Amino acid sequence: MSAKLLRVTGLTKRFGTFHAVNDVSFEVAEGSIHSIIGPNGAGKTTLFRLLTGVHAPTSGSVVFEDGPIAGKRPYTIARKGLVQSFQMTSIFPRLTALESIAAVIVTRSGRSADLLTRFHRAVESEARELLESVGLGAEAETEARTLSHGDQRALDIALALATHPKLLLLDEPTSGMSPAETRKTTQLVVELARSSGLTVLFSEHDMDVVFEISERVTVLHQGRVIAEGTVAEVQSNPEVMAVYLGEGPVLEAVAN
Amino acid sequence: MLPTTTEPAATAGVVRARGGSGSFPVLGAALAAAAVGALVLAGALLPLDDALVVENAIGLAVFALATNLLLGFGGLVSFGQAAFYGSGAYVVMLVWEHWGWSFWLGFALAPLVGAALAFVIGVIALRTRQLYFALLTLAFTQLAYVLAQQQHEFTGGDNGLFGDVLPRWLADARQGYMFTLAVAVVCALLLWRIVNSPFGLVLRATRENRDRMEALGVNVFRHQLGAFVLSGAFCSVAGTLFVIHTQSAYPQLLEWTKSGEPILMAVIGGMFAFLGPVVGAFVYTLGHQWLVQHTAHWQLVLGAVLLGVVLLRPDGLAGLASSRPWRRLRTRNGGDE
Repeated sequence: MSAKLLRVTGLTKRFGTFHAVNDVSFEVAEGSIHSIIGPNGAGKTTLFRLLTGVHAPTSGSVVFEDGPIAGKRPYTIARKGLVQSFQMTSIFPRLTALESIAAVIVTRSGRSADLLTRFHRAVESEARELLESVGLGAEAETEARTLSHGDQRALDIALALATHPKLLLLDEPTSGMSPAETRKTTQLVVELARSSGLTVLFSEHDMDVVFEISERVTVLHQGRVIAEGTVAEVQSNPEVMAVYLGEGPVLEAVAN
Repeated sequence: MLPTTTEPAATAGVVRARGGSGSFPVLGAALAAAAVGALVLAGALLPLDDALVVENAIGLAVFALATNLLLGFGGLVSFGQAAFYGSGAYVVMLVWEHWGWSFWLGFALAPLVGAALAFVIGVIALRTRQLYFALLTLAFTQLAYVLAQQQHEFTGGDNGLFGDVLPRWLADARQGYMFTLAVAVVCALLLWRIVNSPFGLVLRATRENRDRMEALGVNVFRHQLGAFVLSGAFCSVAGTLFVIHTQSAYPQLLEWTKSGEPILMAVIGGMFAFLGPVVGAFVYTLGHQWLVQHTAHWQLVLGAVLLGVVLLRPDGLAGLASSRPWRRLRTRNGGDE
């Protein structure tokens, strides 16, 4: 069994009397592709916000590598190597793709306080390489706001990658994508994980994608973990089937 | 320092604050150089009264450029920049009045005081966002205004401070003009350098999407504080240029309406273009000068111009540069289309 990059123990977030995330525990192995699934309102997005520091947990712990990160500021967690790509694309509308990536690279390399170098000189080649790898090589000089939806998603992921994360969180990376774009993105994620040893934790609606690329799956329902295991284990779990009853894609996927 | 011809693709998108859609560094640099040349000639050849109007515009252009580091590049609307502008003027006058320091000592001290003041105000105001940030900065500059008004013994109260503070060669109006222009050019070059640096790039990214930048590892508060301090220092330098222009400092320099001026200039000229605020400063100052001779309602005209710009050309007058014929020119210059 490989080393654990992320250990979540008893994580709970209460809003008033509502337990959005309730006593959630799971571990993510280094170099794996791990997915979090669950019906709408299961707590996936809140869970991600707890991991990235947007929310502070009510109780419980999150250990990344060897240090606790629960309740730390978002930029502190990001600098440790836990970085998220967002469900609603979150980009820099009036920066070009190249500038967007360059802004992240200068931050990662500790040069964001450099007042006098020309940023292009500092990081251009690395930024172009990264854009190339996510299929945006030809769009380097395009303003982010005029990119197609699919390209914006790719840019969003590239922004996260530019930080050289150890653990990449993808919140529904293929939502709103055409089947072709979904395939492209899925392939990209798998390639990245394989080629650079990146660990990926993602939440996803599209069960075809989940079952195709995940090594482990954690199932959330009403803020709790109701199942965890390999794809085959989760697919044959009766509780999971009950929770998803009526949701077509899953039933189909399960039937396969 | 200025863009070169060796890497057209790399420099594309850096002239304008928002990058991407418009830049032609070679042409831009040539135009800027020509403008500076024209200003030198104006200072040497224009009747003295007219030259002094231009001198005033040059000083305010520095104020507008410095303010636009926050406004256009950082997305921060500060109504407190008068605090730094006014303090620049006051520092020079105060150290001369009370301790007999030379103009040069005050001139060197002013940006440091402006930076320190900006640090203190920024640490508090930058904890808030948008409207609250604007109101807090406004409150601080009003505080400075009231203090300057009430400390008669020290600041001269409502009358402010005035006197023969300038060294002899600077007191010569033509030489004062050339010195003002030289300081303005140096400030503009430094600010140009800053907005095109990694610092400036990250600042623009925080303008576009603050939360995402935070999620990508940037301590946005500290970064914005850095920009606020830099802007404060440059605003303060602009304030010292006011002393060269008038040899005085008075409370109205610290008033929040004074903070509004560079914002109006940036909006009129175009806050997403580096030199937009300079264009705005000249249009505003020269337009004001011309209008007050012809009408008592110059503010009505200002209002109409502002409305026109905001409704028709939100990118300001400099945004005109992205209209069609220019666009073609730019493409031929190795632009981005």
